[in-house]
Amino acid sequence: MLLKKLFRTLWHYKAQFISMVIMIALGVGVFLGFNIEWYSLEANLKEIYTATGFADYRVYNDKGFAEKDVAAILAIDGVEDATRFLSVNTSVKDDTDVIALTVCENTAVSGVLVMEGEAYDPDDPDGIWLSDSYAKANGIRLGDAMTLTYKAVEVTGTVKGLVKASEYLICLPDETQMMPDYTSYGFAYISPVMLENAIPKPFRMMMGNSLYYQINVKSSLSKEDFVAEADRALGKTLLVLSKAETLSWAEAQGEVEEGKTMGSILPVLFLAIAILTMVTTMHRIAANEKTQIGTLKALGFRDKKILCHYTAYALIIGLMGSVLGIGIGYLLGWFILNPDGAMATYIDMPSWRLHVPWFCWLVLILINVFLTVIGFMSVKKMLQGTAADALRPYTPKRMKHLAIEETKLFKALSFGTKWNLRDCLRHKSRSCMTLFGIIGCMVLLVGGLGMQDTANAFVDVFFDQANNYAVKINLDAENAKYADAVSLAAQYEGDWGAQRSVQIGDRGFGLEIYSVTHDRVRFADENMNLISLGDGGAYISSRIARKFDLRAGDTLSFSPYGGDENYTVTVAGVLRSLSESVVMTQAYADTVGIDYTVSSIFTNQTDVAPNRSILNTQTKQAVLDSFNTFMDLMNTMIFLLVVAAVILGIVVLYNLGVMSYTERYREMATLKVVGFKNVRIGRLLIGQNIWLSVLGILIGLPAGIGVLQYLLNALASEYEMKLTLGSATYLISILLTFLVSLFVGLMVARKNRNIDMVAALKTEE
Amino acid sequence: MSVVEFKDVSRIYKNGEHEQKALDHVNLALEEGKFIVILGPSGAGKSTLLNLLGGLDSPTKGTIIVNGKDISTLTANELADYRAATVGFVFQSYNLIPTLTVIENVALVKEIAPTPLSSHDMLDAVGLLDHKHNFPSELSGGEQQRVSIARALAKNPKILLCDEPTGALDSETGVMVLKLLLSMARDMGKTIIIVTHNQNIARMADVVVRVKNGKIQSCESQAAPLAVEEVDW
Repeated sequence: MLLKKLFRTLWHYKAQFISMVIMIALGVGVFLGFNIEWYSLEANLKEIYTATGFADYRVYNDKGFAEKDVAAILAIDGVEDATRFLSVNTSVKDDTDVIALTVCENTAVSGVLVMEGEAYDPDDPDGIWLSDSYAKANGIRLGDAMTLTYKAVEVTGTVKGLVKASEYLICLPDETQMMPDYTSYGFAYISPVMLENAIPKPFRMMMGNSLYYQINVKSSLSKEDFVAEADRALGKTLLVLSKAETLSWAEAQGEVEEGKTMGSILPVLFLAIAILTMVTTMHRIAANEKTQIGTLKALGFRDKKILCHYTAYALIIGLMGSVLGIGIGYLLGWFILNPDGAMATYIDMPSWRLHVPWFCWLVLILINVFLTVIGFMSVKKMLQGTAADALRPYTPKRMKHLAIEETKLFKALSFGTKWNLRDCLRHKSRSCMTLFGIIGCMVLLVGGLGMQDTANAFVDVFFDQANNYAVKINLDAENAKYADAVSLAAQYEGDWGAQRSVQIGDRGFGLEIYSVTHDRVRFADENMNLISLGDGGAYISSRIARKFDLRAGDTLSFSPYGGDENYTVTVAGVLRSLSESVVMTQAYADTVGIDYTVSSIFTNQTDVAPNRSILNTQTKQAVLDSFNTFMDLMNTMIFLLVVAAVILGIVVLYNLGVMSYTERYREMATLKVVGFKNVRIGRLLIGQNIWLSVLGILIGLPAGIGVLQYLLNALASEYEMKLTLGSATYLISILLTFLVSLFVGLMVARKNRNIDMVAALKTEE
Repeated sequence: MSVVEFKDVSRIYKNGEHEQKALDHVNLALEEGKFIVILGPSGAGKSTLLNLLGGLDSPTKGTIIVNGKDISTLTANELADYRAATVGFVFQSYNLIPTLTVIENVALVKEIAPTPLSSHDMLDAVGLLDHKHNFPSELSGGEQQRVSIARALAKNPKILLCDEPTGALDSETGVMVLKLLLSMARDMGKTIIIVTHNQNIARMADVVVRVKNGKIQSCESQAAPLAVEEVDW
């Protein structure tokens, strides 16, 4: 019988019941979805790193490595495995496509994962294991023949396998590109045997060891220890890059960290709002059911049985919300992370399976336990005392006089305002929850839309204003001598730039040297204002400034990768930049005595003639388009967040609104009997919502900005973004929150048309 | 002159297939300025009569004329105006707004009544001026009922409708409330209509209307109604 009552009571409170299930489902769903995203990315990345033996260190030497060098590395204590490795950009014969031709002697390190076709054979004389993404983008199938050319060398083979490789997880031809484009660039592995056969004997003799410029190593040693050991083993100064300094690791992990940050703030807020509202609602339902609870007690039901009966409501709501939330979480996770989504255009992973982090399960269990306990406590409170005590209806706290009542202002308030103000104070928890719901909605909107504004401003300053050029000409380092580069820059009326990798301590950074004579390249200071570089010192990106606690006037020392030199420069200023880099003018670099090779020319002339010094050209629009893919991913997350915020706002406010309506039913019936019209009573109800909305917006706006700043601080290691809020964000956030509140207010206010004056006033107080 | 006229009024409540005649072809005329008691057992239809008269409900059939105006065909908004201007209500369970003080509860009607009286004077009339800044929860039942009478009177209505006004009070407080209501009829010329099942209250009325099974059994004027003190409680 009690079971029947259970379902009927659920039906009786269907508005609250459904809204509580939706709230929990949304809270759990958003929390789970955002955490599934980064966790799954991390797990799927780990899968390919492990399957293909992603190297921990890459050792470079421009003279190449012999087999004995690998043996020497392998002999180091703490080195698990190593291989000689070659990666060189080759051209596809009779095509403009570029393929990173890769040879790996020991595919346990930096190997491939075969997606289709034959297993990789290190002795295969003509097999090509081609990037499956490139093959798909270019309609290449297994068994097709391919010829790749590098200078005078031609490699012809048959596509025997379609593969993925962790070394090319983010497959870019050079640092000038931002987004993979598989229609024109991919990678291919061939066997060492095929490489040997492809190189004519005289060349091979000439090149000696120099076929392999790289040794990839798996080792648990720290970078410092490994560098010391490698130097000792090979007896020369080498350039060693840890996996953290490679694109395939740093960028992918950056995405994971970004997801973690996003998942740790706003979704937690979501969950908190859902849980707190549920707590308030459960307490109110228990209070409304007090007479029934008392009746059961008076009939002779034991407290334990009544407690179990009513606690079941909380458990059912928690479980239903959780199950739905898990579904929403997976859906959200899939929406952000799927093989056809924005992320897949950047990261070339074989598996896009969704994984739920362990702590999410723990949180789910804790939420359900918590909600059940809350249900239990709420009912236990109503059961206190004798059966007669329990039978008495729940009475809210007695009204107390407020200090402000003595003020002239309060006395001047209308009856409606006084009524609403005192009602808020009488039902503090309900009012606080409503306020919390509005603040939450506002925070999520300001946080989400503000993040978009900030990213847009970032793109606008860095990619539109700072890059004041139409075309970037990338020079071929091997052919472009300084004089050629300067002459080309003059020919195209452009500015030029040079890039080097440097070390500050054991951390790697970029060194950028510019000659700016045509205002084609600009720089943004910490306040995102565009500035010109001075010749009196070096400028550092704000991440470097933060890491090494540097400011203008300080000195900074760095050495080029693989070099013995050490340069000390004066910090002239701090910049916001895309990369962690030290920036200086050519004049200052010459003063300090830094060697450099001009790598790019920035020009407004779009017609660039082929030249042996020119590697390729890149339009600014192409860079903007690339970055838009990043923006798409962010926009997806923000869109989901905003939609969820609005739904949550509506559900929370509607639930609390209905609660308020139920609790004030008798008062409204009285007003109606006295002669108040429905519209007037509706206005009183909406009035409370509006007051709370105004207060919520006033608190939520700075809170949202605070949360956004916190997010930006957390993302500071990735992006040097400055908090920017557009007027549209203020307007949309305020209007949307206000409209949500007004919409819910109107929905609840409509109900007063159905107030049964007679029945309401007959019941006992 | 009749202030209230019921002409062949029926009120039928439908509950699925089942029909319940709460009032059945009722004809009734009540005069202005009288202290009228509607008497009858539970379920007789006396509260339905009061609700129809108060504009809380509309008849299924028939016409109700109050103060020369047919209220049986008014819309919800017109009924609200009618309640605001013409009738005042006093219920068994006081129905005060708990979040408003005593004076605010009475002043509430200023928001809607066309010719409201001073809340201060009304509270004075019911003897609660000293408690004007108290909240209802700080008052006794009798005091709360007096506040509800003051609120009803503050609208300056022609008719005061009271549904078991002493039902929740002890006899001493009940007498005090009835005295107050009687004085409203005698001193202020209000028409007071009380619905009750208490036969004793009928003995102090100018007119006693007896209702049974949804019909008017009798409507008698009493030439010499008893004073409140003379009624045996």
